[in-house]
Amino acid sequence: MTAGFFCAKPTRRLIFRLPGAMETLMSVVMIVAASNSAYLHADGSTIDKIYHPYVQLLETEIEYRSRYQDDDDAALDDQQKYQLGLGRSLSEQLFAELYLIGAGSSESDFELTAVEAELKIQLSEQGEYDNDWGLLFELERETKENLWEVSTTLIALHQWSRWIATANLSLTYEWGRDINNELETSLASQLRYRYSQALEPAIEFYLGEDTLGVGPVLTGVQRLGGRRKLVWEFGAILGIDEATPDTSWKLNIEYEF
Amino acid sequence: MRVLLGSNLLCWAIFVEAATLVVNIEIKAHLFYPAEVIVPANTKVKLLIHNMDSSPEEFESYELNREKVILGNSKAVVFIGPLAPGEYPFFGEFNMTTALGKVIVN
Repeated sequence: MTAGFFCAKPTRRLIFRLPGAMETLMSVVMIVAASNSAYLHADGSTIDKIYHPYVQLLETEIEYRSRYQDDDDAALDDQQKYQLGLGRSLSEQLFAELYLIGAGSSESDFELTAVEAELKIQLSEQGEYDNDWGLLFELERETKENLWEVSTTLIALHQWSRWIATANLSLTYEWGRDINNELETSLASQLRYRYSQALEPAIEFYLGEDTLGVGPVLTGVQRLGGRRKLVWEFGAILGIDEATPDTSWKLNIEYEF
Repeated sequence: MRVLLGSNLLCWAIFVEAATLVVNIEIKAHLFYPAEVIVPANTKVKLLIHNMDSSPEEFESYELNREKVILGNSKAVVFIGPLAPGEYPFFGEFNMTTALGKVIVN
C-alpha cells in the first residue's frame, strides 16, 4: 500500500530553534578553552567513549571497554584500564548503567579500582531540532582510595547528510580524603561518517587537564538476529602534548538485546 | 534594559511558527500500513506511528538513521528529513521478516 504526504494534515506548532551545529560546537570549544585558562581541568586521561544522546526503550546492554597506553615515559607507559557495565533503559528518556572499573599493567596485577553509576537523559526527540541533546550524570567511587567523583555531561549531536558531529562537555567535581577537592572540565568530540552499518570511520578529539589528543576510530554494528546487536569501536588516540600518552588504544564492545 | 534583555533572548531562542508535515503509519499484525510512505524532498516530516498490536515493535532504519520502540497499543513520533530524493527502507526489529516498508522521497 502506498500513501503520500497528503494522508495527514500538516499541523502548526511552535518550534524552539536551537543554535546551529557549528555555533554549538564553537560555544562548547570556547567554554572549555575559557575553563582551561582558569585552570579548570580533568585529572588523568579523559580518553574514553563518546556518548550519543539517545535512549532506546526496552534495551538492555552489557558493555566492555578497555584502554591501553603506550608512551616513552615509564609513568604513562603500559597502563591498562578495563570497564564492565550492565545497563537498562528505564523509560523512553532514561538509561541507567552500573560499571566495575579495573586497572593494571604488565608489572602489576589487575585489580578492581572503582565502581560507577551512570544515568543518561535524552532531552530532545531525534531529528526534531537542528541538534539532538542529552545529559549524562556519573558518580564514581574509588575502591583503593577515599575519592569520589561526580560529573555532568552535556551531549550535543548534529547530523548533516552522512556526517555526524557529537560533542560531550563535562563538568566534574572530585572530593575525598586522598585528593584535593577540585572542579574540572573536559571535552570529547567525534566526527563520524555513516559509510555503512557494519563500518563507520570517525575522528575523535579529547581535551582535558592531562589530555590533548586526536585520532582515528572505527565503529560498526553487527546484527545477531532479532534485537540482538554487537556494537564495536576500536581506535588509537595520539597524544599532542607531553602529558598525553603517545598512543591510547581503545576498544569498546556493547552487546545490546 | 528590557529591550536589551529581550533582544539577547531573541538571539538565542527564536520562536517561529512552522508547519510540520505529519504522516500517520499503523502497525497491525506485525505489518506497516502504509508500507510505502511518500514524502517531499528537503522537508522535515513527523511520522506518527500507531502500534495497534498488543506486542511492542521497533521502527528501525539505518538509511534514515532512526530507531524507535513503540509499545503495544501505543503511539510514537519519529522525525525524518530533510531528505534527498530516493528510497529509504525501514523495518520492524521485532518482526524483521514481515514488518517491512520504505520511505519514498520525491
